[in-house]
Amino acid sequence: MSRTRWLLPFLACTRALYGQDQSDLPRLKARADSLAREWRRANAVANAIDSLERTRALAGRDTIRVGALTIVTNPSPLPLREAAGRAWPVIDSVYGDDARQLAHRPYAIVAVDPDTTVERPPRHSGIEVPWDQGVASLTQLLLSSVPVAPADTALQSWLGGPLRPLADPDAQWARVYIELVTAPSHASRRCLIGDIGGCRDALDLAEHGDALLRWYPSPPERQAVVLKSSAYFDRGAQLATLQTCAHGSDSACTRLLRSLPPGGLPRPLTYDARATLIHVALQRGGRAAYHRLVTSAGLSIADRLALTGPVTVDSLLSLWRARILAARPAPGALPPLGIWIALGWAALFAACGLWSSRWRGN
Amino acid sequence: MARELKRWLAAALAAWGVIVIGYVPPRGVAPVATARPRPPQPTAARLRAQALAEAWRDADLALRLARYRRQLEPELARRREADQAGPAVVVEAPDSLAAYAGEVVRSALDTVWRELGLGVSKVGVGVVVDLWRTRPAGTGQTPKVVAGSASHLLPDSTDRTTCVALIPAWYRTATLRTSSGPGRRQQVEDWLQAGLGPCAFLAAWGVPGSDVRRWLARRSYDLAAFPSWDRDWSMQSQSQWMSVRFATDAKAAPTWWWPAVYGHPIAAIGCLAGRAASCRTAVLSDSVPRVLPGDRGWWVRNERLVLGNRYLGDVAREVGHDRFLRFWNSPEPVDTALATALKMPVGEWTERWERRFAPRLPLGAAAPVSAAVLGILLAAVAVVLVARGAGRRQVR
Repeated sequence: MSRTRWLLPFLACTRALYGQDQSDLPRLKARADSLAREWRRANAVANAIDSLERTRALAGRDTIRVGALTIVTNPSPLPLREAAGRAWPVIDSVYGDDARQLAHRPYAIVAVDPDTTVERPPRHSGIEVPWDQGVASLTQLLLSSVPVAPADTALQSWLGGPLRPLADPDAQWARVYIELVTAPSHASRRCLIGDIGGCRDALDLAEHGDALLRWYPSPPERQAVVLKSSAYFDRGAQLATLQTCAHGSDSACTRLLRSLPPGGLPRPLTYDARATLIHVALQRGGRAAYHRLVTSAGLSIADRLALTGPVTVDSLLSLWRARILAARPAPGALPPLGIWIALGWAALFAACGLWSSRWRGN
Repeated sequence: MARELKRWLAAALAAWGVIVIGYVPPRGVAPVATARPRPPQPTAARLRAQALAEAWRDADLALRLARYRRQLEPELARRREADQAGPAVVVEAPDSLAAYAGEVVRSALDTVWRELGLGVSKVGVGVVVDLWRTRPAGTGQTPKVVAGSASHLLPDSTDRTTCVALIPAWYRTATLRTSSGPGRRQQVEDWLQAGLGPCAFLAAWGVPGSDVRRWLARRSYDLAAFPSWDRDWSMQSQSQWMSVRFATDAKAAPTWWWPAVYGHPIAAIGCLAGRAASCRTAVLSDSVPRVLPGDRGWWVRNERLVLGNRYLGDVAREVGHDRFLRFWNSPEPVDTALATALKMPVGEWTERWERRFAPRLPLGAAAPVSAAVLGILLAAVAVVLVARGAGRRQVR
């Protein structure tokens, strides 16, 4: 329940602790140390068993290889080879030379009976997939769970998740266009009309200045952000401030937004926007681009993107913006036949109505 | 068979056929499936490691609290000697924040102390505000410690005069850094007041009598988790944040959130529905529940009475200091002592108290009045028509 992610408890969980005094300190310390030792041993055993389970999941199974992409699975009607055939070019285009690591990092897929009345055995590793999945669905699954080594924390926290190929690129680019148009942020509107500085702000690439003022400089924007997060603020002492904010007090809205924990201020654009930007950089940077991106940890995200490109960040942002604008979703078109069907239904109902005896005179 | 009846039967069969064709999928066609993999289950060894990690966290917390009590002892003794009101404070924070945060926290705690009417207390209170996000520990040497809610070390047989509150507040650092405005200061005071928890009760009324102490301890002091006697919090009625009822939008009216309602024990649900007997059970029960529900969310896990964390604070405000003190130290059983303090049965008072925060929860069949009236009218018409038809039928 991501909507509830920021709902922090107002309830103080009391842990009443008895029978302790100063002379208990050595005993308490000994107990904590003993538990820590026991935990280290148990953790090591659990890691070893998990490793064995992973090995067991891969042993005695079918192996499917397409390029470097390797899938270890049990025999089933799942169209894994076809799905791998579709997924591999996309994966290869994103990770480039680094995609070769997939030869040693296989997917472990456990195909299971889709009948929910059939009891499934406990499973400790691998991805469990009902064997009635179609190729498209499996391809998306393979793209969204590529077993490459995870990127560094800084990149993932900027991106808002792990870096994966775009599973449904057309829809994702179109979604970013809609975000850019509708986000209650001056930065994203500036980006939309061609201000690259605005794109830099909206994508959280600027390192200096107050993020709140860069992203949401006007009172209506700040109010919109607070009201969108009202489930978080709707409690305890912040409630009165939230209501003042809802009635138009900018100082109340600002106060609420400034009370968010570090990194908690909602960003104008979502994961999709940042992921599409990285994909622009990766496409432009060639087969070694991903390697440059993941090995440049320590630099700022803007510098890492520039290194990945390898072009200036502003050039990347221009390219990204152009692609976003080109992905503008087409307005819903009514097929010509649809008009006639609608008119036909209307005529039918009108005829029924007029035929009815209620409307006849006499 | 009459021809008209045949026609009706044919029409009914045709309609049935249409429904069958429309709703029953043909054989051999798989439903559209989406890839939604089931997450792997942890092994028994992993579960054991997790249980040990949890046990270590509890032990580590006990150790930390005991250490803080030792650290705070000289300051508490000095305050006792000098008849100085207020808690002893330790602020654990990065160097860049420590001095400023210490100043803000001390000042806010003094205000809270004053507003709660706590002077020089028999039970000294130590407050530790921890502003670190994670505590430094050797990587992989101990389980990760995540900042949770406030913890308390209550007086025990060897130290009857000290209560320590440990308040993790990493996520409050933004509030602390900009606490100059009046609204911000109020926020700091409110979360410190919540963090004092049962220590504030002990500072105000001392260590409770044995029956009350046992009752509260078995309930993990849930009814004394928030010292709310300084103001009438329930006046905010509709706007009060509750786990079971809230507005999904700031401008919308609050509505019941049923998953949270049914995440509560039966007695708490009955109390919300206005049943005094359930309210009495929800307040006085101190038995360990036989059924431990799965994880339905942290916000309802510990609530045995909706908004029960401020129950005793509200009782104290309503009955006054002296009557509450008599209840607190009463040698009588808890239900008698509480009913005496409230001057009415516990269930009845609690039911009224719950109404201050939430309307009566509608339980059971809840057909709208209009629908019920319409149904009765239709039934009456049917009966009249049948009766008239039967009356006209003549046997010759």
